[in-house]
Amino acid sequence: MAIISICRGTQSGGQALAECLAEELQYPLVAREVLQDAASELGISEQELSRAMERAPRLWKRHASVRRAYIATIQAALAEHTVGGDLVYHGRAGQMLLAGLPAVLRVRLIAPMGARVSTLLERNEMTPTSAEEYIQHVDAARARWVKMMYGEDIEDPALYDMVINLQTLSVPAACNIVARAVRQPDFAVTPEVKAKLMDFRMASRVKAALASTRETRVLDLQIEGHDGVIEVSGSAPALKSGRMGQEIVEIARSVPGVDQVRLNVEWFDPYP
Amino acid sequence: MAIITISRGTLSGGRATAECLARALNYPCVGREILQEAAKKLGASEEDLSGKLEATPSRWARLTQERKTYLLAVQTALAEHCTTGEVVYHGLAGQFLLRELPGVLAVRLIAPLEMRMRALMDSHHRMTHKAAEEFIQDVDEDRRRWVKLMYRADVEDPSLYDLTINLQSISLETACEIIAEAAAQPQYEMTDDVKQKLAAFAAKCREQLQQAGEG
Repeated sequence: MAIISICRGTQSGGQALAECLAEELQYPLVAREVLQDAASELGISEQELSRAMERAPRLWKRHASVRRAYIATIQAALAEHTVGGDLVYHGRAGQMLLAGLPAVLRVRLIAPMGARVSTLLERNEMTPTSAEEYIQHVDAARARWVKMMYGEDIEDPALYDMVINLQTLSVPAACNIVARAVRQPDFAVTPEVKAKLMDFRMASRVKAALASTRETRVLDLQIEGHDGVIEVSGSAPALKSGRMGQEIVEIARSVPGVDQVRLNVEWFDPYP
Repeated sequence: MAIITISRGTLSGGRATAECLARALNYPCVGREILQEAAKKLGASEEDLSGKLEATPSRWARLTQERKTYLLAVQTALAEHCTTGEVVYHGLAGQFLLRELPGVLAVRLIAPLEMRMRALMDSHHRMTHKAAEEFIQDVDEDRRRWVKLMYRADVEDPSLYDLTINLQSISLETACEIIAEAAAQPQYEMTDDVKQKLAAFAAKCREQLQQAGEG
């Protein structure tokens, strides 16, 4: 069992690979649902959320709390699907949203431009030039997501566990390779791994709740979860520190699965 | 059956993975000894060949005829190993020397810098943190420049390889399993046609090497 995240450019066979793996391994398949769930949670349309995430990082600096709320909500939506320990995710930014979790295999699929153009032309009536332009346009939007969320280059192989090039290999071949990989002991979902996945979901929920509450959304805090205990750390302005601390604890406590909240926040004076 | 080339930065587990794979598939494993064979073909010493071939060329000494001949000798030696259709090669520039040949699975291994540094900071090497980091970065930079100059390519570009594996969270044994699975795919099947092409390639390399020697 494992959580497989597939990142790819458009028309690179990502969907076919995801479907093949879900079928072969009998794992649930999740893609757009995550964005749809997050959008409905945020009270905006999926398109609005997607567009917002493609904004220039420069613009986002001015709206750090909005950006944080979006990312936290998307992560929480994805975390709901991970607790089973088996998943094929081929939506946006999986390699980032799931970074650091055990039993996650982050795959990137690449294919030569010529092959991608042909795939697009098979399904749509368009010229090769406009097909290439379309592919570049979609790729650029996805790259901006990753840049925006984590300041990383989507094509950097160090972000993935495996990069498969479909120049010579086929989708069924890639499917065999990934399936063999997740059957290795590195990706075993042991009781410890399951517990970590539960912790991840709980912490993601708390993060999303804090990021979307008016009083706490300006705070940039680290949230970690372990076995029903949430630890909130970082530093925050001390203005009304007593009330703010209480607010954080109350919000975190209201999240299902949270038994205890440990507040480890350093309060500082915003007007020294 | 396949010809497997493994490219990697220094201390990224390339040799160990190659050896694991060779054992699992029962293929011969070829690394730096290719230079010895190439040197023999030229009647040169291995030191001379590797020194001239691998040294990062300065701006004033670009792709000279001598360097071309040396590289051709390496290519010929490698091509001769490939005619059987079974080899794991973890030496110099496999992904370029065998480019466009059928039946070749090109693999790149990457590993986080910290992991690679640990190998140099053990009780045997006793390098300091800073020395290890500098050493790896120097070697990487030399290779990058070498590949840039010889092939006008970026050695880290994943599109040069069929498979890039990051050893950050994948173990060596798992990497070995993954590559073995890839090699078993029909794309790398050693048909008679592929074998003929490999034999023709070796013959062409030999011929070119002979011409270069005469010229």
